[in-house]
Amino acid sequence: MAVNASAVQGPTLLENILITTKVEKVINWSRATSVWPMTFGLACCAIEMMAAGASRFDFDRLGAGIFRASPRQSDLMIVAGTVSYKMAPIIKQLYEQMPEPKWVIAMGACATSGGPFDSYHTIQGVDKIVPVDIFIPGCPPRPEALIHAFMKLQDKIMSGSMADRYRDVFEAVEG
Amino acid sequence: MTNEAQGRPDRAVEMPKTVPLPGLEAYRADQQACAAAEEAKWQKQLSDYEAAKAKAEAEGKDAPKAPVKPVAKPEGDLKAPVPTEAQDPDLLRLKDVFGEAVEEFFEQAGECTAQIARDRILEVLRFCRQDPSMRFEMLADETATHYPAASDFAFSVVYHLASLSRSKRLRLRVLLPEGFELESATQVHRGANWFEREIFDMFGIRFLNHPDLTRILCPEDWEAFPLRKEYPVAGLGQRDIDFREDRSGRLTRRAQEQAGHSAINLKIPTAD
Amino acid sequence: MFGGTEYMEINMGPQHPSTHGVLRLKLKLDGETVISCEPVIGYLHRGVEKICENKTFFQGQIWTDRMDYCSAIGNNLGWAEAVEKALGVTVPRRAHYIRTLLAEFNRIASHLVWLGTHAMDIGALTVFLYTFREREEIMDLFEDFCGARLTTTAFRIGGLGQDLPAGFEKAARAFLARFPACIEEYETLLSENRIWKKRTIGVAKLNAEDAIALGVTGPMLRAAGVAYDIRKAFPYAAYAEMDFEIPTRTEADTYARYLVRMAELRQSCRIIAQCLDGLPEGPVMAKLPKSLKSEVVEIYHPTESPKGELGYYLVGEKGGTQPYRFHVRAPGFANLQSLAPMVEGGLVADVIAAVGTLDVVLGEIDR
Repeated sequence: MAVNASAVQGPTLLENILITTKVEKVINWSRATSVWPMTFGLACCAIEMMAAGASRFDFDRLGAGIFRASPRQSDLMIVAGTVSYKMAPIIKQLYEQMPEPKWVIAMGACATSGGPFDSYHTIQGVDKIVPVDIFIPGCPPRPEALIHAFMKLQDKIMSGSMADRYRDVFEAVEG
Repeated sequence: MTNEAQGRPDRAVEMPKTVPLPGLEAYRADQQACAAAEEAKWQKQLSDYEAAKAKAEAEGKDAPKAPVKPVAKPEGDLKAPVPTEAQDPDLLRLKDVFGEAVEEFFEQAGECTAQIARDRILEVLRFCRQDPSMRFEMLADETATHYPAASDFAFSVVYHLASLSRSKRLRLRVLLPEGFELESATQVHRGANWFEREIFDMFGIRFLNHPDLTRILCPEDWEAFPLRKEYPVAGLGQRDIDFREDRSGRLTRRAQEQAGHSAINLKIPTAD
Repeated sequence: MFGGTEYMEINMGPQHPSTHGVLRLKLKLDGETVISCEPVIGYLHRGVEKICENKTFFQGQIWTDRMDYCSAIGNNLGWAEAVEKALGVTVPRRAHYIRTLLAEFNRIASHLVWLGTHAMDIGALTVFLYTFREREEIMDLFEDFCGARLTTTAFRIGGLGQDLPAGFEKAARAFLARFPACIEEYETLLSENRIWKKRTIGVAKLNAEDAIALGVTGPMLRAAGVAYDIRKAFPYAAYAEMDFEIPTRTEADTYARYLVRMAELRQSCRIIAQCLDGLPEGPVMAKLPKSLKSEVVEIYHPTESPKGELGYYLVGEKGGTQPYRFHVRAPGFANLQSLAPMVEGGLVADVIAAVGTLDVVLGEIDR
């Protein structure tokens, strides 16, 4: 059957002046495009994180330019560097101080699994302390890798839903 | 406390069997022993050859090849530095002034080393700093090494002195048995403060008259001393923490309320 | 009811807005005046010395990059020279020149990070963006040479793994042609800036006597009037053949250290130009056996890193392929001891300037 041109309708009068969408989508979009990271550079990866925020790679164009010093004002904790035993409770405290919704990126080999430091004072991965959303391999990962990971996080936020996020918790608590 | 060596043979601790403490007498003795061993080996080769030759003649076979004394290979880019007799004026002056307290002194790889008796080290440091012909103003570094295979000492503490005005360096070395408390060098060089705290943290060597001898790198409640040779690289299990919670802590809090705790005195590891 | 003192004890760090790494300062304040300051370190202690005791001489280089992570090539140079001293290796002349060249680029890169973060802490955010722009060009050069931007592992025992790639010299000369104008740009932003001068002149003073007593080296010592630079006092690599000056000042405050480091940027450009012009022909690697064994030897090799005296202490065993003891004398470790005398009696805002001027990198302090 041929396409009936009259079956395709142009925008109605109302659609000329309104955008309809789901509330969840809007909220996800606003969260994803203005993620504010916390300055949490521990070691060498911090320098690459600074380079990602600086002139050439420019994190700011993704909406994540403002690195907040206080965890109370940030959404994202980029754990950039090696987690030592002495630092572990502090990371946990900072994570608890962040308000929901919050995400964690484990940047670099050290934050992922201890990296080259398989020693007595190094925690083998920050996911032993806080739940991690994105892991970035590399020692250190290039700033482009950090931006790629950040964009993946944005995808995760955009495609997530608030109901999904807490469903597991509610089910576990109730059932 | 798990021992990571279990089931992981690459994590097992291998205690060193030798005492690599550089010294002129030790080197000379070692050279003599090596030369004697080489000589003995050569003699044995000769006698083996003679015996084999005799046997071959008796059986009517051809004589075996004669052993050739190995010629020293020409030195390429690799020539290990060896201890030599001290000729540096600083070392000679130290020996003149302190006599018996300077147990050994030699030069190796262009560096001067003097081994000092452990109860005289403070005097020697003071002398090196204040004497007008020595003027070693700065203590560049102070560190220690563990020698478990040695019989009459357990650690060596080394001081690296630098003279900024004369552009010269000197190493002083002290040997200590286990448990010996050494006089702190902070009495001569204030900068030794943190160096000695690190030595205490890593080896357990205590210093007398130190302003604040506490752990500096490891947390205050750390057990054992990491840089000792019997301590495994992966540690004694202190790093195996796992206090990751669910995302918002709700499950834990729920479980604790059910169990009757109000979660006020929640035990989490603290920073210090 | 309340304790006897009116002092406030606060904790600065280990997580704080200034980007110097995980340093914690226990400050006792009387209003805004600092009564006492006690640095607490160890939050980045990774056990590098213990790890390197279980690795061969060759493998140890990897962990040296990650100590002073702002200047990895400087650490690599110190390590390579120390191991070569311990084993008795002769390095070809061309390798010395290339090492010196890369070490000076590394000095520029490290000082650019210092300038960017120090200015950012005090409030001058623009400088950070400008310095990192130049630093990216240097990191492109490093990537061209050894494949990595930051943690370079650039050298080998006995020389270099490979010669300079094609196009390196052209890119380096292009950078040198452009860079003096950039230094002037930074100086235009800061040197005569009234706010910068008010925040840095007279702040965090450390005189020469205290500096030497505490073991402080590097630009901190040179800003106090002591013309001591290991590149001149105990020359290594190709520095004996280079013609350069040691900038010193006498005021010993933060502004003086800023001027010393800016002058060092210019001297580094001078050295790089001399290296490029005088680069000798020849091999870049010594002829060595596959497996390197040491004799019983104990060496301490000092080098001048951008922060101060970086020393490697190695003890070798007879026939050993691994070091018996591997210790690094980090310049930041001794320099940080001088923080307390520098800030006590001053204002709390000057603590930030003091930490910035020390140029601390916790990776090398905590090892």
